[in-house]
Amino acid sequence: MPQPDNNINFDDLFRYNYRPLCLYALHYLQDADLSEDIVQESYAALWEKLQEGAHVLNRKSYLYMMVRNRCLDHLRKKGIPTESLKPYDTYGIIDDDDAQERSQTEARLWTAIDSLPEKCREVFILSKRDGLKYEEIAEELGLSVNTVRNQISKALKVLKEGVQKLYTFFFA
Amino acid sequence: MDFVLTHYQEGKFDTQKALQRFNEAHGIVRKPRRRVLPWVSGVAAAAAAVILCVFLFRDNEQQILLMADAQAKEFVLPDGTEVTLAPGSKLTYSEKSPRNTALEGKAYFEVARDEAVPFEITSDGAFVRVLGTKFMVDAGSSVKEVYVTEGKVLFAKSSDSEGVILTKDMQATLSESDAVPVVAMEPDVNSIAWQRGSFIFDKTPLKDVLETLSEHYRVSFAATDLDKQLSGEFYAEDLDLIISLIESALDVHIIKR
Repeated sequence: MPQPDNNINFDDLFRYNYRPLCLYALHYLQDADLSEDIVQESYAALWEKLQEGAHVLNRKSYLYMMVRNRCLDHLRKKGIPTESLKPYDTYGIIDDDDAQERSQTEARLWTAIDSLPEKCREVFILSKRDGLKYEEIAEELGLSVNTVRNQISKALKVLKEGVQKLYTFFFA
Repeated sequence: MDFVLTHYQEGKFDTQKALQRFNEAHGIVRKPRRRVLPWVSGVAAAAAAVILCVFLFRDNEQQILLMADAQAKEFVLPDGTEVTLAPGSKLTYSEKSPRNTALEGKAYFEVARDEAVPFEITSDGAFVRVLGTKFMVDAGSSVKEVYVTEGKVLFAKSSDSEGVILTKDMQATLSESDAVPVVAMEPDVNSIAWQRGSFIFDKTPLKDVLETLSEHYRVSFAATDLDKQLSGEFYAEDLDLIISLIESALDVHIIKR
């Protein structure tokens, strides 16, 4: 996908990459608030560098690098060994470009979940994140089991269409 | 998929909020500041508004006028109601009864709840009464429109004519020839995009997506594959960014004209 980088302004650099960077950090930290803080810090560091007149060749890659280093620093401080902490997926270790790509795809999925209708999202999350059975969701929310089933298939359909073809194999 | 779902939390990783936080931390001011009018806000109040307030004082009614010029502006009324005025819109109320307002143009309201005193909006040919809720009124054109995001709203031609009750995510329009507002079967969530700051599409054909964007930004488009469907939320601040996101998401080519 086309990624404008150094010819876009700082605001767009932020908007374009904030959520993917958060997800990238989340893979290391497993903590959403902490991830957001580290991404903020990284943007701040880049901002200061640019204010000082520094030339950064690829601002996006630079951001990913800073986020990763800060995550690793944080884990080291907590005494967690980091040598083995390379980005990986189900097929093994993946390289930086793939890790960025993956974060972007995950960010799109996150956005797609955000944009689900409220009730639909609630049902979907209870099922997929919290692992509740259809019957349990129906009871908790006062819905029929059929409604729960419909909401979930609606959610899957919306997400499937919203998150690009590239991602469809996850749903297959 | 699993990773995102395991960690998904509503409202987390909110780019808009994060950007605001970043800008605030670095003293970058872009968004219009929330202003508390009338005169109590002193120096901060816009000079134009102050002049108008003073002018209106004279007839002893103490009418207060709020207006937005080039950008949408947020105001907090004395009763705690929050109003976002669309560019070029005006809202007046008297100091004695601040929940009795008159609107010219378009505004989004988050009405502070007060069971005893309903909040009323009158405009030329439309009347709206509520207790406490969130909704938009567009009284700017010949067709008046109300879109409700929360609570219950009465929408009528005037305070003594028959009206319709609207609830969450309902939209109704009232044209000059109608006696009673007509409730839309499929409300357009993007009619409040200017207030929310984003567009939401849910399996919307590209043709309709471009029509919405075209209305909002006053540009026209040409594109391939107009039947492809788009879902997702797009922040309204940067049209070029939205266009490039759509192009890559749908694998289409869009030209601005």
